[in-house]
Amino acid sequence: MNRRNLLQYAGAAGALALLPHTRRAVAAPSAAPRRLIVVLAQGGWDTTWALDPKVASATTDVPVGASQLFGNLDVFTDASRPNVTSYFTRYAPVSAIVRGISVASVSHQECVKRMATGTRNETNPDLAAIVAHDRGNELPLPYLILGDTAFAGPYAVSAGRVGATNQIIALLDPAQAYATNGRTPIATTTAEDALLARYADATVRRLHATRGATGYNRKRVDDFSEAIGRGKRLQAVRAGFGARGRTLTLDSQVDLALDALEQDISQTVMTSTRLAWDTHTAITDQAGFHETTFAGLTRLLDGLTTRTGRAAGTKMIDDTTVLCISEFSRTPKLNSTGGKDHWPVTSAMVIGAGVRGGRAYGASSNAMEALSVDFATGKPSATGRVLASNQFAAGVLTACGVTAVDHLGPTEVFDAFVA
Amino acid sequence: MRILAPLLISFSVSACVATESPPTDPPPPPPDPTIVYLTPTQHLSRASLALRGLRPSIEDLEAVDADAAQLPTIVDRYLASPEFGETIKDLHNETLLLRIEQPTLTFPLPPSLPTATALDINGGVFDEALRLIENVVMTDQPYTKIVTADYTMTNGVVSAIWGLPHVGPADQWEVAKATDGRGAAGILGIEALYHRWRSTGFNYNRGRANMISRSLLCHDFLHADIDVDTTVDLSDPDVVANAVVANPSCAGCHQTLDPVASYLFPFRGTVNLVALTNGTATYPTGGYTVAQETRWKTTNKRPPMFFGVAAAGLTGLGQAIADDPRFARCTATRFASYLTEVPKDQLSGAWIARLQSAFVAGNFSAKQLARDIVLSDEFRVSHDTDAALAETVVGAQKVRPDQLARMLYGLTGFRWTTTTTSKLRNIPYGTPDLLKSDFVGFRVLGGGIDSYFVTEPVHTMNATSSLVAKSAAAAAADFVVEHDATAPVGQRTLFVEAAINSTDPAMIRAQLAYLHARIYGELVAPDSPEVDDTYQLYTDALAVAGNARRAWKLTLVGMFADFRSLFY
Repeated sequence: MNRRNLLQYAGAAGALALLPHTRRAVAAPSAAPRRLIVVLAQGGWDTTWALDPKVASATTDVPVGASQLFGNLDVFTDASRPNVTSYFTRYAPVSAIVRGISVASVSHQECVKRMATGTRNETNPDLAAIVAHDRGNELPLPYLILGDTAFAGPYAVSAGRVGATNQIIALLDPAQAYATNGRTPIATTTAEDALLARYADATVRRLHATRGATGYNRKRVDDFSEAIGRGKRLQAVRAGFGARGRTLTLDSQVDLALDALEQDISQTVMTSTRLAWDTHTAITDQAGFHETTFAGLTRLLDGLTTRTGRAAGTKMIDDTTVLCISEFSRTPKLNSTGGKDHWPVTSAMVIGAGVRGGRAYGASSNAMEALSVDFATGKPSATGRVLASNQFAAGVLTACGVTAVDHLGPTEVFDAFVA
Repeated sequence: MRILAPLLISFSVSACVATESPPTDPPPPPPDPTIVYLTPTQHLSRASLALRGLRPSIEDLEAVDADAAQLPTIVDRYLASPEFGETIKDLHNETLLLRIEQPTLTFPLPPSLPTATALDINGGVFDEALRLIENVVMTDQPYTKIVTADYTMTNGVVSAIWGLPHVGPADQWEVAKATDGRGAAGILGIEALYHRWRSTGFNYNRGRANMISRSLLCHDFLHADIDVDTTVDLSDPDVVANAVVANPSCAGCHQTLDPVASYLFPFRGTVNLVALTNGTATYPTGGYTVAQETRWKTTNKRPPMFFGVAAAGLTGLGQAIADDPRFARCTATRFASYLTEVPKDQLSGAWIARLQSAFVAGNFSAKQLARDIVLSDEFRVSHDTDAALAETVVGAQKVRPDQLARMLYGLTGFRWTTTTTSKLRNIPYGTPDLLKSDFVGFRVLGGGIDSYFVTEPVHTMNATSSLVAKSAAAAAADFVVEHDATAPVGQRTLFVEAAINSTDPAMIRAQLAYLHARIYGELVAPDSPEVDDTYQLYTDALAVAGNARRAWKLTLVGMFADFRSLFY
C-alpha cells in the first residue's frame, strides 16, 4: 500500500461514521485465517443459465430448463446440463449465490478489475492477494496464480505465477531447466546458496543503512530479500507443480490448487475456467461452459470435503472459502446473431468456510436490473440499496477473516452471506 | 468487446478540447529539503538503464565521475543508440499492448514462408506498429508522425500476410507504403493494430476507438460508470443505434466515442484465421476498403468526427490527434511514467506540464522529451530522508525482463535462449529468448507483461522473479566464465584484470573492482568495503567449490542477481 492509499484509508473507520448506511461496515471478520480459491469465469457468463433463474418474456430470453429448488436455493437447471444439477444436489448446503451485483460497466477489463479487487484501480490487489497477504504471508508462495488474470498490486512479493505451460517448474527443478546452447544452467548446492544468501544479506544491510532506509526503497529492498527466501522454499515443494508443458485446464488447476493449499505452500489460489464465455454470437455455448465449470467445482468441492483440514478432525472445506465470479453477465435479450452482449449486473457464488450456504442473497428483476436489497438479511427490500461490486468484495474479505476497510477504504460490507 | 449499454456519466469532452491552448508552464515547485539525489555516476547508470537497458561503460562512468557536466553529452549518445530504439518499442508496447502470444490471434503460416516459426509470425505482425514508432523516433521526425506518417514498416511476414511491399530479406525491416487509399495516418493505418484490438458484431469499432483515445490521449471512456436503461431493446441494432444518439444517458459518451469509431469501418472487424488455416481464404489478406468509409451511415449513424471537430478520413483523424493538446500531454505522461516507474496518476502535474510545453516547443522531438526526463531532478531522485514522504519516492527502479535480457547481453554477450519442440497454433514455436517469451519463457514470471492478461509490469521482486533472476544469472555466468577461460587476453569479455585461474589476491580484488564498475556502476577501490564483501564471496566459493571457474561463476551469479544489478 502506498502513501496515497494510506492517506486515503487512514481513519477510514472514522470516516465511515459520516456515511449513510454504514453501521454494518465495521462487521468483525472471522478470526480464522481462511484460505481462498477464486474461480474466475472470464468473459462474462449468462447468469440465466444457472445462477439467476428467469422467466422467458418480452424482455428476457432464457435457455431451455426451469427453476429447481435445492433446499432453499433456487437454480436454473435442465436435464441437458447434468453437471449443474449434480453440483447443487451435493453442495447446495455449503453454497451461497449472490445476485444483483452491480459492476456499473460493460468493459471486460474494467469489470474484472472491479469484481476481483473491489476497486477501480488495477494497481490494487485482488481479494486473493489481500487474503494471502493478511492471513498467510509466512507461507512459501502465499498467492498462487494458476489462471491468466490476477492483480497482485503492492503484495506482488507474495504472489507467483506458474506460466502458460507450467514453466515455473523449469525454475524449481534443475532436471527440468531449459538448456541454452546445449548447456544446462549451473545448479547451486545448499552450501553455495548459503554463500549467495550471505552476500545478498550484506547488500541489504548496506542499503538499509543508506538509500533503502525508509519508504518505497525500503519496501523494494525488503521484497528483494524476502523473495530469495520464498524462492528457496518454493523449490523445496517443487514436486507439487508437476512437469513442464503441463496444460492447465480447470481440472488440472483444481488439483494443483488443492495440493498447494493442503501442503501449505499457498494461502490463496487464483484459477481460471479458461473458457470463451464472451458469447456474442452463440449463447448456446454457455451450456457447455457451465457444464465444464460445474464439473470443476464439483471436483474442487470433492477435494475440499475429503482432504484433511488444518485443525485436527477437520476437512479443508472447514477452513477454505471458494469464490466463483465472472466480471459481468449478459444482456437479457438475444441479439440478432443469436448471442448476448455485455450486461453490468451479475451474480457470484461463495462457497465453503465462513459462508451461510443453501440460499441466495440479493436479487435482480426479470429484466436483469439489480434490485435494492436489505444488507442485513440479503433479501430484496424497497428500502434497501443496490449491491455494488465493492460491497460484495468487502463481504468476501470478511468471510475470509480480513478486515475489509483496511484494504477497500470506507466501504459498506455486504456480509449477509457471512456465517 | 461491446459497449451497447447506455452510459450514464457524460464526459466534458467537446470541440473546445481539441482547440484549447497548451497550459501555461507552472513554476517548478520548491525543492524538497529532505530529498536526496543520486550521485552523478548513479545518475548515469539510471539514465543508461532507462534509455538503453544497458549498464554504462567504465569510460563513461569515469568521465562523469571526473566531470558531471559530461552527462548530457553521454545521454545524447545513448539516445542515438539502437538500444534506445528497443526501449521505444517496449515503452509503446506497454501502452498499445501488442506483443502477444495468443493462439487465437496467431496467423497460420503463409505458404511463401513455410519454415517461419510462431515467434517469426507474431514478431512480425505485432511489431509493425512498434517498428514504425521506432523509425519515427530514431530518424528524428516529429513524434506526431506516429499518427501522420504516410508509410509503415514491413518485413517478410508483414508483407506475406497483408500484401504490403517488401523487397529485402525476410527478416529485414524496411519502409513501405500502402497504396489502397488508407492515407497518411501512421499507426492508425496499420491493420495489425486492429487485429490485436478486434471489433465484434455490432460493436462498430467502439473498442478500437477507445483504444486510440486511451493510448494516444490518455482519455479512457471505460473509466466511466454506466447505468442500465432497460427500456432500450439491445437486441435491435437500429434501436441501439438510435439510443446512442438520442438517449441522453447513452449519448454522453457515445457522441464523442462513436464518431471516432466511424473512421475505422474500412478495416475488418476480425480476420478469419480459421479460413486462412483451412485454405478457404488465402494470403495476402486484409486491406483498407475505401468503399466501407461510408458504412457508418447504415451502422452507428455517426459521421466520422474527432471530439466535435470535422476531420476527413484516417489522414484527418491522425492530424486531429496530433493537433490535440492531450496528445502531447499524454505522450509526456507515458514517457515519464515508463522511464521513472512512477504510476501515471502519481506523476507531478507541474513536471508533466513543463515536459509537455518543452515537447511541443521542440517540434515534438521524442528524443528531446526523453532527454528532458532523464536529466531532470524528478528522474535523479535517490531517496527521501522524511519517512512519510519516502513512501512515494521511487528511488529504486527494477529492470524489466526486456531490460534484463539486454543488460546481461551487454555485460556478457549471452542471450538466454533455448530450443523447444513446442508449437503455438500448430506452428513450431521457434527459439525464444526466455526473458521475452510468455509461452515457454519467463517474461511474466519475471515481472513483465504478456500484453493480454497481464498488462502492468511488476516493479518489485517476488518468488518467481527472484528465481528468474538467479537462473538467468547462472546461465550468463556459466557462459561468460567458460568463454573468458579460454579466450585470448584481448578478447575476454569481463575478465580483463585477472585471469580466471589467477591466485593473486591483488589481481582478484582488481578484477572484482572492475566487475563492480561494470555490473553495479560503482567506481570503488579494490580494497573498499564493497569489494570486501564480494571478495569474501569469491574466496568462500573457492573453498566450497574447489576450483576457480566454479568460484567465479558463483561470484557472478551473486553479482548479477544482486539488488544493485536488478535495480537502478
